[in-house]
Order: sequence, then structure tokens, then C-alpha cells
Amino acid sequence: MTPPPPTATPAPLRTPASAPALPADRHTLRRAARRVLLRNWTGAATVPSHGLYPHQWSWDSAFIAIGLRHLSPLRAQRELETLLGAQWGDGRVPHIVFNPAVPLDAYFPSPDFWRSSTAGAAAGAPRGLETSGIVQPPVHALAAWLVHRADPALSGGRGFLARVYPRLVAWHRYLTEQRDLGGGGLAAIVHPWEPGMDNSPCWDRPLARVEPAPPGAFRRADLDHGAAADRPTDLDYGRYVRLATDYRDRGYRDGTTPLRTPGPAFAVEDPGVNALLIASEHALAEIATALGTDPAPHRHRARALTSALLERLWDQDAGQFLCRDLIAGEPLPERSAAGLLPLLVPDLPRAVVRTLLDTVRGTHFGLGTTVRLLPSYDLRGPAFDRHRYWRGPAWSNVNWLMERALRRHGERAAADALRTAILDAAAASGFAEYVDPYTAEGRGTRDFSWTAALALDLLAAPGPGDDDHRAGTVRHGEGER
Amino acid sequence: MFKTACQEQLLPGDTLQRKWEFAREAGYDAIELRGKGDFHFRDRLPELRRAAADGVVMPTVCVDMLHFLGDFDDDRRRDAVAQMKSQLSVIAELGGAGAQTPASYGMFSRRLPPFEPPRDERADRDVLLAGLTELGEHARAEGVTLFLEPLNRYEDHMVNRLEQAADLIREVGLDSVRIGIDSYHMNIEEADPAGAILAAAPFIGHAQVSDSNRCQPGAGHLDWAAWLGALDAAGYQGHLAVECRLTGDPVRAVRSIPPFLARAAG
Repeated sequence: MTPPPPTATPAPLRTPASAPALPADRHTLRRAARRVLLRNWTGAATVPSHGLYPHQWSWDSAFIAIGLRHLSPLRAQRELETLLGAQWGDGRVPHIVFNPAVPLDAYFPSPDFWRSSTAGAAAGAPRGLETSGIVQPPVHALAAWLVHRADPALSGGRGFLARVYPRLVAWHRYLTEQRDLGGGGLAAIVHPWEPGMDNSPCWDRPLARVEPAPPGAFRRADLDHGAAADRPTDLDYGRYVRLATDYRDRGYRDGTTPLRTPGPAFAVEDPGVNALLIASEHALAEIATALGTDPAPHRHRARALTSALLERLWDQDAGQFLCRDLIAGEPLPERSAAGLLPLLVPDLPRAVVRTLLDTVRGTHFGLGTTVRLLPSYDLRGPAFDRHRYWRGPAWSNVNWLMERALRRHGERAAADALRTAILDAAAASGFAEYVDPYTAEGRGTRDFSWTAALALDLLAAPGPGDDDHRAGTVRHGEGER
Repeated sequence: MFKTACQEQLLPGDTLQRKWEFAREAGYDAIELRGKGDFHFRDRLPELRRAAADGVVMPTVCVDMLHFLGDFDDDRRRDAVAQMKSQLSVIAELGGAGAQTPASYGMFSRRLPPFEPPRDERADRDVLLAGLTELGEHARAEGVTLFLEPLNRYEDHMVNRLEQAADLIREVGLDSVRIGIDSYHMNIEEADPAGAILAAAPFIGHAQVSDSNRCQPGAGHLDWAAWLGALDAAGYQGHLAVECRLTGDPVRAVRSIPPFLARAAG
């Protein structure tokens, strides 16, 4: 089975590279996280979970790629390439890319509801595959940059950045042009599923205007896998279906800006979506530089978005950013963790940063004081529910973003504590989709891909107090998170 | 971090001790031996005992013959089983872990003329189960393990994928028979090599490494990060034994493997 031995002569010695040393429990966690990502890989992309979410989700794939880069930089690149391969002609990246091998009734709304290849034809939906017609937060350019940094040689050899860059530019152009429904320079969402925080109390008021689809008009599949008490109510689901149906029946056209009738019944500017857009625009500048392209347009757009974010969504009295209801023309008073995510934006005024950090630790979110993990919604809010989807539970991706933001602003002790809390929760809950913010008790589905992926990312970073050794402890020369 | 082993013929030096000196300097943790037929491996015992006494670590032996336990010919099959028993006994005496063999090699391929083997699948299976049981019982008595290696479709027509090996081992029912996986063959046969490792995790006893082109790891296009990540996630504690051809300067190639694998494993 083996060829004859080669002729060998001595050569100079070289010391093998060494892997980072992890404590035994962390090594066990890393193995478990790797198993989740390997089992949820489908050949070209990763499902969030085989039961509840058996297709490819947009922002899930971005967060998954950020962790997958530590397991396989090649798979991480493919994860993003596969998603961007389903991009529409108008630039939108659909929030679900359906796997044609999965039965229609495994998930609702299914491809025969969205009918993207026909209803979305005018907007440039792909003809050969089925997707949803709405979007999710633009984490992709940030993910692409981090994935590239994990193994620049592999990325360069495959032309990864050169291939994804124009698609990411088109994606951002769609958000900043087609979705500037308020005319103020921010991207708007037209469905509560678009910001990713599907059932947030922020949407209660604007959703109340929406006439629900009749209960008999659809059959939910999410209740086959999740506890009804943790999931959105039937009434809310009827409203989600109505909004999506109307959008589909308009051919997924976003209309002209600023917003005018007839248009969407739901249009909101969300600080989380726009903060991620700004962070990703900065990542596009890095990508452009790496490709020898002028980064200035991206930096300019990031600055413009940051100004618009401050002007339109900052609320000094609340001490955080608030959503803005474009139909009613007013801010939404509910406090969501999305209103803290602008801490990711690199050039916020110092006073705004200080106020946001106070709010993160204060009575409404209590991070590091009342709770170890950032809740998705105001702990003291009237709609707070520690177990119900996006109405209080802590999510791994939001906490990962906050950890990154805290570290960016020099809040090292708080970032270290949050990292430990995220990893402890992932380990104890079996990579739960979300957890009780007070007890870290797991809720929703288990072996959830982004929970495992982001745990892998945090495990690949140096431990508390190890920042001086960062470059030596992260794989593939990755010195930047 | 995985331990690595290098097959003896890849290492420079005219004695095992000299090969070991080179191997250790290059970052290897062990040497994988090659076991020829006609009881040649048994006849090397004096040499192997001296090497072991000098500290050479030799946990495994890979069979180096042209007939195997699944041979169509009864006499050749019986001899192959006898050779493997002897190799298991020798590696046990050296304090090693086990011996690796495929079901067959170069005997028949369903992808090459005449396409239909002279023995049907049922009979293939009976022959393999009998051989694996006999060898597994011998291995158990010696306190070592027989590693069954799936080969690609062009080299063997009976056991190509990990699930086929696991199925046979399940039926044999002996802990002393495990799968010896090989990254090169898996790249050809497994739809998802990393997924196949996880699926067969409890049955994996040994691992050999070479790249997509049968050359040293790093010389081809395997997704090593995923393959090694899966092996780690499967809880594999054994060696990564290098069995490959070498491209480029052979010494430099052999030296390049431990750091390459360490980096790819993360």
C-alpha cells in the first residue's frame, strides 16, 4: 500500500507548532462544539438545527462561519459562499435558503409560501432555488473578513474575498438604498423576522396595526419542535404571515423612498440592524484594502450611517438607542438589547459610549450586576418573559456581540466575565438556542449551531488575562477577532 | 494535540535507533512498523527488542504483504491470517497497541474489468467475519487490537467506507477489532469524511494520514482542519501515523508533517 522508501538525507531541525493549551473542561467543551458543527453541516452549509431549522439561515450562517473558521476555514468560506450564491438580483440576501431535499412541511413558511422564484422574479430572485423574500441583519461582511483572517493563504488561493466582495457590496447597497424607507439614511425592516429578534416586544405596537391572517390559513411547524409557552403566540404568528403575504404579493418590491402608501404595514428602523451594517461596512473597508481597492467609499458610508444612527435612534433619556416606527413616525419606547449593539460601532461619541455602558450594567439590563448574560429585553419591562422567544432570554449571538463591544471599549474585566458566562451557559445547556438570563437554564432547541460556533470562537481567543499572548494562541495566524 | 507516528521506511537511517533519533527531532512521537510476510516481522524480533530497549516507541505495525484475510484463495487467506496473528503477537510483545490490515489490496475492483468478482457478497462477508473473529480473538488474548482499514474502490472491493467496517465489527462483537482509518481512502470514498469519523467514532482505533494525492499531509487538497477537528471531536487518543508517498525533498517533506498537522489541528 505504500511506495518504496525514499532516499533520505538529514536536514536542519524545526520545532513543531504547538496548539493552545485549554483547561480540561474547556477542551471537552471545544470537542462538543465541534461535534455540533460537524453534525449540522450538510455538505455546503450548516443548518441551525436539524429539527427546528432544517435550512440555511442568513445571519445564522454568518455567526456560524465566525466559529466554523476555527474548525475548518474552508467550510467557513463555503458557508458564506453558499449563502451569497442565493443572493437576489437587487442585492438582497434572503433570510432563508431552502434545502430542496427537506419536505415542505418541515418548516413554515415553506418555499410554496414564499414562491421566491416566481413572486420575486422582478426583484431578481434566483430561478433555480427557493428562498424567503425577507432579509436578516448584515453580519456577513464582518464574518467574511474574520473568516479570511483565519487563513489568509487559503482565502487568497481560493479567491474568497475577491468573489464575495462584490456580492457584499451589492447587499449593503440594497440595504442603504432600497431599504432607506425613512429617507434618513438608515436601513428599515419590513417584517419582525428581519432584525432576527422575531418576537421582541419592540414589535408589539407596530404589529398591533396589522390584521392577522386567519388561523386556518397556515399551519405552524415551529410548535412541533418548541414549547408553545416559549414561542410566539398564534395571534402574532397570524400577523407575521399577513405581512409576509402582502410583501410577496407586492412582488417583494420595496417601493420608492421615503415611505409612502401603498407600502408595507410595518416599517421600523432598528438600531441593532444598523449597528451591524456599520460594523460590516467597516469590514468592507478592510476587505477592499486587502484586495487593493479603495476603502474610502466604505469608510464614508460607515460615517454617514453612524451619523444617521445617532440622529434618528439615539435617546438620551433612555440612555440607549430605540427603534423608530416609520409608519407612526415616532420612537418605540421598548428597550431591546438591539439598542445596545451600537457599542460595536467604532467611532461613537465618548459620552454616548459611557451612557450605553451605564445602561448595560444598570437596572434594565443588569449585566454583571443582576445577571451574567445580557438579556434580549429590559429586565424591568412590562413584557419581560425570561423564557419566551426574544422577550427576555439571553442569546449567544447577542452576547458574543456585546463581548466584542466591551472588549473594543477597553472593558476587559466585563468582557472576560461575559465570555466566561457565555461558555458556561453553552456547556451547561448543551448549546441551547437561548437561555434564561437569570439561571442560564437552556430553552428552545439544543445543539444549536451558532451557540456552538460562537463558543468555539471564544475558546479560540485567549483566556482572561492572556491578551499579551493573543497572537500565539489563535489559529492560523489569526490575531484579530 | 495529537501524537504522530511515522512509518519506518519514510525515515532516514539504517537502524531503528537512528530513524528514531531523526523522528524525535522532527517532532514525531512514535514509529509505525511495517510487517512483511513469511514471518519476516517475527524474525525481526531481536532487532525490535533492542530498539524497544533503546527507547524507540513502536505502538503499531501496518501489514506489508500482497495477500490478506479476505483473499479469494483459501491457502493465501489462511496464510494471511497466520501472518497477522504473528504480527499481533510481536506488537504485543513490544508493548504496542495493534496491527493494521485491509480486507484485501489489489485483488479485485468492481470499477475495473471484469467488474464482477468471482465470489458473491454473502461469501465475501462470511470470509471476512470468520477472519476478523479469529484475529480478534487472538488480539484479545494478546491484549492488543486488530485495525481493519477500509481502502478505496480501486484497491479493494469489499470494505471501502467506515460504515462498512463498523458494520462488520459490530457483528464480530469484539472490542479487539477496530477500524484503522486512512485519510487518503476516506477522501475518495466518504461523502463527508469528517461526518463519517463522528458517525464511526466508537469504532475508530487507529488513524493513518496522507493527503488527497497520497503524498505527505499538506501536499494535496484535503480539508485537514475539518478531518482532524472531527477526529478530536470523536475523542480519538491514538497516533496519527504517516503512511504516504513524498513529494519534493524527502527529508524536508517528512519533517514538514508534524508541524503541519499540529497547525491544522488547531
